Amino acid sequence: MPHTLTELVAGAAPIVVEETRGYWEGTLAEELRVQTCNECGNVQMPWGPCCTRCLSQDLGSIVASGRGRVFSFTVVRQAIHPNFSAQVPYVIADIELEEGPIMTSNVTDCPVEDVRIGMPVQLWFDNEMEDAFHTKLRLPKFRPAKG
Amino acid sequence: MSISGKTAIAGVGVTAFGKLPGRSAWSLQTEAVKRAIDDAGLTKADIDGLLTAPPLAEPLLLHAEQLGGKLGLRTNYLSQKFIGGATAVALVAEAALAVEAGLCEVAVCVYGENAKTGLPMLFGRAQMGRGQAPSDDIAYGLAGGPIMEARAAKRYMNEFGVTEEMLGSVAVAFREHASRNPGATYRDPLTIEQYLQNRYVSEPLRVLDCTIGASDGAVAVVVTSSERARDLAKPPAVIAGAGVAANLQGLSDPDHYTSYPGARSAATAYRMAGLEPEDVDVAQFYDCFTSTVLITMEDYGFCKRGEAGPFALEGNLKRGGALPSNTSGGMLSEANLVGWNVLAEGVRQIRGESTSQVDDAEVCVVAGQGGFHAAHATLLLTKGAA
Ligand SMILES: [Zn+2]
Repeated sequence: MPHTLTELVAGAAPIVVEETRGYWEGTLAEELRVQTCNECGNVQMPWGPCCTRCLSQDLGSIVASGRGRVFSFTVVRQAIHPNFSAQVPYVIADIELEEGPIMTSNVTDCPVEDVRIGMPVQLWFDNEMEDAFHTKLRLPKFRPAKG
Repeated sequence: MSISGKTAIAGVGVTAFGKLPGRSAWSLQTEAVKRAIDDAGLTKADIDGLLTAPPLAEPLLLHAEQLGGKLGLRTNYLSQKFIGGATAVALVAEAALAVEAGLCEVAVCVYGENAKTGLPMLFGRAQMGRGQAPSDDIAYGLAGGPIMEARAAKRYMNEFGVTEEMLGSVAVAFREHASRNPGATYRDPLTIEQYLQNRYVSEPLRVLDCTIGASDGAVAVVVTSSERARDLAKPPAVIAGAGVAANLQGLSDPDHYTSYPGARSAATAYRMAGLEPEDVDVAQFYDCFTSTVLITMEDYGFCKRGEAGPFALEGNLKRGGALPSNTSGGMLSEANLVGWNVLAEGVRQIRGESTSQVDDAEVCVVAGQGGFHAAHATLLLTKGAA
């Protein structure tokens, strides 16, 4: 049985599961895929096994434009997870995508003091990583949009 | 058909809170149960229902069964519930339903663990933000309660012009109550100046905006019919209303940043009790964060949207204010018993036993909140008919 926090959460990579495989495959192709419902047209994030509006399992996806706005955020000053201690301060933000849904990510490439609610941001993809089962993926992140 | 007024909390048992080295979770839980039974003037033989909340640090699939075994109980009702911080209040509501439905006559609800000195709350912390595929937010450094809550607090403050002084006034009020409570973990007076110099954990939340870290300790309550409770050792805290509501979309639901399902659980409880927010004399909020208290105050109808901050800043949460709240110091100053200590204080107020007793407290509301705005439970306690 693991006894330290580090042992418990060895690696902080996402875990790719059946319902989200298409999402993570998208990230390798540098596509942010937003889940859609073929029954009712609902557009949702995060991906799930069914539509949260009508419960249909007939699901598809669209590729997001990559444009969004900061819906809310926090500047983390004390990382609880040891993997992130060296990175503080960093920004965790909820991004309202142009397509509607909100997703959680980081806002990078600007001083943490500059992040504001409503700020336009643009998608980028971080380096390739592996989940616990060696499935490759990339993390979608956001930076301030130009212009 | 309503359960209003038909059941009551007849006994409360609390252990010491804080650092209790050498104590197992089982010893804390069984001590609280014994104290609650003794407090009610009952014996073990009277207990025929057991409802438990599993320890956060050591989640056990069969916690209720195992604890019942250690207590040597044979019961007519058994349950284990875990809906995060809403568990305490929701478990009491469930006990009331079981008693009213005739499934059992005298139920004990209990939670306790040695999360401070024993097995730390690693499991809960490590899992925080996990299982939220595909974002699996831990990959972004999203691990721990303050980060979860801070984004809601930020949006709420931005929308309604809530200042840091307003958040701080919640911490200051609850610390003032804790200073009169000999059992509280933090009893030193706190000024707003000290608060504003306190360091951030995850902006806008400072250390002093967050519930204190894990505490060792346990709390148990005895629930039985109001009729039976009237003949027992202590004045009953009658369950006048209860509600358990949930919105399980988390922060992918934009409404979730500035309002909780507590608006619905409170509405259910008020309607059941035939009471209005104006009838409430004292409140025990689930104060995992100062911002949570402000939003819950609005959900519960004590203030209009955006007005809880100024209301708190005026000192209304202190004893003598319009809505004295978390009169034991709450989870911000007394102990982090995941809302169970807040529930115990609600009963003490109705009995007139609080160290920050509100004069003529007839109606007390107790709130529980779990899963970062996902689940919310409300209990309205009253003295009942004389
Ligand atoms: Zn649908």
